[in-house]
Amino acid sequence: MQGGSSGIGYGLKYQARCISDVKADTDHTSFLTGTLSLKEENEVHLLRLSSGGSELVCEGLFSHPNEIWDLASCPFDQRIFSTVFSTGESFGAAIWQIPEPYGQSNSSTLDCVASLDAHVGKINCVLWCPSGKSDKLISMDEQNLVLWSLDSSKKSAEVVSKESAGMRHSLSGGAWNPHDVNSVAATSESSIQFWDLRTMKNVNSIERAHVRNVDYNTKREHILVTADDESGIHIWDLRKAKAPVQELPGHTHWTWAVRCNPEYEELILSVGTDSAVNLWFASASSEKQASERSAEASRQRVNPLLNSYTDYEDSVYGLAWSSREPWFFASLSYDGRVLN
Amino acid sequence: MATEAAPMDEKAKRMRDLLSSFYTPDPSISTPTSSISTSFDNINGPSFDADQYMDLMIKKSNLDVLLQRHVQMAAEIKNLDTDLQMLVYENYNKFISATDTIKRMKSNIFGMEGNMDQLLHKIMSVQSRSDGVNTSLFEKREHIEKLHRTRNLLRKVQFIYDLPARLQKCIKSEAYGDAVRFYTGAMPILKVYGDTSFKDCRRASEEAIETIIKNLQTKLFSDSESIQARAEAAVLLKQLDVPVDSLKDKLLEKLEQSLDGLQINPDEASKLAEHNVSSKDEESNNQGPAKIHEDAVRGFSEAMRAYREIFPDSEERLFKLARALTTTHFENMELYIRKRVSAADFLGIFRIIWEDVVLMDEVLPEAALSDLSAEAAQVTLKQFVARTFSHLQQDISDTLLKFDINQKEVVDGEVLKVVLEASGKAVLQGTTDIFQEFRQLLDENTGIFVKMNDLLIDWIQKGFQDFFRSLESHFLVLSGKTSSSNETEGLVEGKSSEKIHAGLILVLAQLSVVIEQKVIPRIAEEITASFSGGNSQAFIPGELCRVFHAASEKLLQHYIDTRTQKISNVLRKRFKTPNWVKHKEPREVHMYVDMLLQQLEEVGKEVKQILPQGTFRKHKRSDSNGSNTTTSSRSTTLHSDKMARSNSQRARSQLFETHLAKLFKQKVEIFTKVEFTQESVVTTTVKLCLKSLQEYVRLQTFNRSGFQQIQLDIQFLKAPLKETVEDEAAIDFLLDEVIVAASERCLDVTPLEPPILDKLIQAKLAKSKEHNNNNNKTTVSS
Repeated sequence: MQGGSSGIGYGLKYQARCISDVKADTDHTSFLTGTLSLKEENEVHLLRLSSGGSELVCEGLFSHPNEIWDLASCPFDQRIFSTVFSTGESFGAAIWQIPEPYGQSNSSTLDCVASLDAHVGKINCVLWCPSGKSDKLISMDEQNLVLWSLDSSKKSAEVVSKESAGMRHSLSGGAWNPHDVNSVAATSESSIQFWDLRTMKNVNSIERAHVRNVDYNTKREHILVTADDESGIHIWDLRKAKAPVQELPGHTHWTWAVRCNPEYEELILSVGTDSAVNLWFASASSEKQASERSAEASRQRVNPLLNSYTDYEDSVYGLAWSSREPWFFASLSYDGRVLN
Repeated sequence: MATEAAPMDEKAKRMRDLLSSFYTPDPSISTPTSSISTSFDNINGPSFDADQYMDLMIKKSNLDVLLQRHVQMAAEIKNLDTDLQMLVYENYNKFISATDTIKRMKSNIFGMEGNMDQLLHKIMSVQSRSDGVNTSLFEKREHIEKLHRTRNLLRKVQFIYDLPARLQKCIKSEAYGDAVRFYTGAMPILKVYGDTSFKDCRRASEEAIETIIKNLQTKLFSDSESIQARAEAAVLLKQLDVPVDSLKDKLLEKLEQSLDGLQINPDEASKLAEHNVSSKDEESNNQGPAKIHEDAVRGFSEAMRAYREIFPDSEERLFKLARALTTTHFENMELYIRKRVSAADFLGIFRIIWEDVVLMDEVLPEAALSDLSAEAAQVTLKQFVARTFSHLQQDISDTLLKFDINQKEVVDGEVLKVVLEASGKAVLQGTTDIFQEFRQLLDENTGIFVKMNDLLIDWIQKGFQDFFRSLESHFLVLSGKTSSSNETEGLVEGKSSEKIHAGLILVLAQLSVVIEQKVIPRIAEEITASFSGGNSQAFIPGELCRVFHAASEKLLQHYIDTRTQKISNVLRKRFKTPNWVKHKEPREVHMYVDMLLQQLEEVGKEVKQILPQGTFRKHKRSDSNGSNTTTSSRSTTLHSDKMARSNSQRARSQLFETHLAKLFKQKVEIFTKVEFTQESVVTTTVKLCLKSLQEYVRLQTFNRSGFQQIQLDIQFLKAPLKETVEDEAAIDFLLDEVIVAASERCLDVTPLEPPILDKLIQAKLAKSKEHNNNNNKTTVSS
């Protein structure tokens, strides 16, 4: 998606929920998506933006044994990614490696690097450590938070530590703080919890009900963006966690996911079940910036919604910014359409 | 003729020139620059040479011309001769007459000398006689003068001897003025001779004067005396060299004391005026203190006038006093308007104060009291306006919140409606009342108001503007939509916002509409009607309308949000708790459907109370949905067609059909703009709920029974939802979507047989009928 021009589309065969930016791929703008289908064979698609930026090409198509609920690409190895999958009744999480070279042939198989099988309940997400070189992983189910150490050469993953959040808080997702590798934010039924990975303790929390998604601002420390059912998007300053810094109206229905642009700190992207993708300008309402940008900010604050892309016909669940070219983003709707 | 006349003139002119040159002594000087060549042939020139001229003529001309010239010359010469003769004769005549005149003068002068001598003699004799008279009367005159002087002296002595008696007499008759005059007249003599011959006399008179001074002082201090008299007394005292300054100080202190008395007065008056509000029948009561107060002030101003006359140099202090009085007046006024005051009362007090000020201003025009009070009045007026508005806002929120308390007790009934009407009335009535009050203010013709009319209009307009703005933000705060900017309170606000009843939000939304559509235009109308001259545009109805329009939309949206939130919670619980993969066979419609319907019913009730009914269905949307309805009906016909087929086949084909139908259907506008009608709000709520339902379904995985349960629930929902909702096509679409979503997430899609479905639904309906009354009363909304 460039500027306001219409998006480049790509159709998946089946329904899908998740899309991830391949951060380790420094040469191309690539995304990974996984399909979500109960009855058919599920697939993982490796999509690449063609050099001209005009076309989205499927670089690889790999079969995946189960339906994929969450997918995350490894930040240091472009061939490695993790999925959370369900077999209908039970959930599992695994780390996969794309075979070399990527076969153009249909449904080439994926190598399973490791299986993260310490969970019992419904697994929600797998997070990669954002620092780049570290081989730490976190997986979350509804009650537990598990820190893994991955050894890709040995094809094994060990549980480093595990902590239960308690029955009452059903964790639903989270984000790893890019500024502090020991801190992870997790969304639960009634609050956002912040975990310290060294002690595996809940250190802080923001009381907020029904948060769907959370993302750190990679450019500015302490800034966190959340999306929830009730009133759209909130921007928080972690130092002043009692009230949100800013509030954006969000979507007409649930705001499903929210992402900060990796380069431009004011840009926030959100997707919702009203089939829209909204691009927001959250005038970094911090004091430092306020002075220099006051004129611009005041103008922008009037209408923080920069653009709304309403090309979808079904709810949009997946969203990812391209880390290589920060003016591209990919979004994914339930009916399997990918748009850039 | 003309040619003849010209030479004739020329000729005469030459003649005159010649004659004049004859008389001029030295003609060569007058024409020194004439050249020689021209002078030769110029016969009139002084350097004319006859021979040369002759030669020139002979050389130049022929005989005829010469002859002609000769004749001409001869004639000219003759002419000249006669002219000369005439001149000589005239001159001679004049000379003869002159000699005659001289001869006559000489004969007249003889004989004057003798008369002159006679005159001199007579004057000499008059002088000598007057000298004689003078010397003979001198002695007598001197004697008379001496006698006169003695007499004057004697009279003075007599006066001094009489002085004490006279003073006494004056004291008796209170003619202090005369007494002082006598005394001051005698003063120098008494001073010089007081120690010797007039000792007794002096003592007596001094005693008398002392009594006079005493009398005068008492007179000065006594309030009963007229000001004139007091002023005179002061003047007299001054003439008697009594130290007046100390007296003045004393008097001014006294005045200040009286001022203290006055200061309390306005407060009392205001109290009494307020008293009068409660009991309006006792109008005389109100008049009483006002009159007393007025009298007091009048007295004060009279006193001031007097003092001013008496002590012209004490103005400054008087100014100070007067200013102090006015400022205390206005301070009291401010205290007074801190309570709720009607404009009439306000005006009453204002009028009193103004009268006071005018009275004082008459006395002390230099004190710039009117300016001072004008400033103070501006401040108080401004405060008054602001306060009135804040009171109104308080009133409105009170009416709203009062209901909030009651509301918890009575869920049913027309509470919302009543509250809406009450608050709407409160706003409308309140604003018009306020307006009336301001009109009263404006109609007031007291000088100060006239001056401030423009300002006041400005304030009122601004006041309205601010009022509506603050009202809007107040609404938003009340609705809990905007948590207060104060961060520490943010959490508290957030929590309390949950307690706010959704109905209140709805009431606020509708109230905003009322304000936008009725109140603001009305105010704008009245403002334009009454301040047509006001060119300041502090009150911008357009902007306010926009603000309130936005607010109403926001509030309505918020209402729907809170409502759907509740339902969403119900749904969430429903979908989180059971294990859908191991769901048992559906036996009845699930409880949550009841709760959903109940919530919707509540919404419907609230909405019905508050919002107007949509008069006509939205044609626009039904137009765009025209194709939808046909396709959806087609899908249902397809559905009925399929009934005959076998189960497994049907399952797959149904999935296919729904997909196909989806392809044909247009993207249904699920999220349309909410309008202020009952139907629109309900529809939007239902739509959002169904969308949420769909999303929840998508997050789960179902087994066959789970799917069938969903199917059953949806089937049951269909009928009541369609009843309540405006946009049937969209609801159909969304319900289908839920089923589709469930089938997609189902491991084994086998729909229930229609007869079983019907049976279950009928059972449910019967049950719900049975429990209908109980349900409504016992189940508490979560």
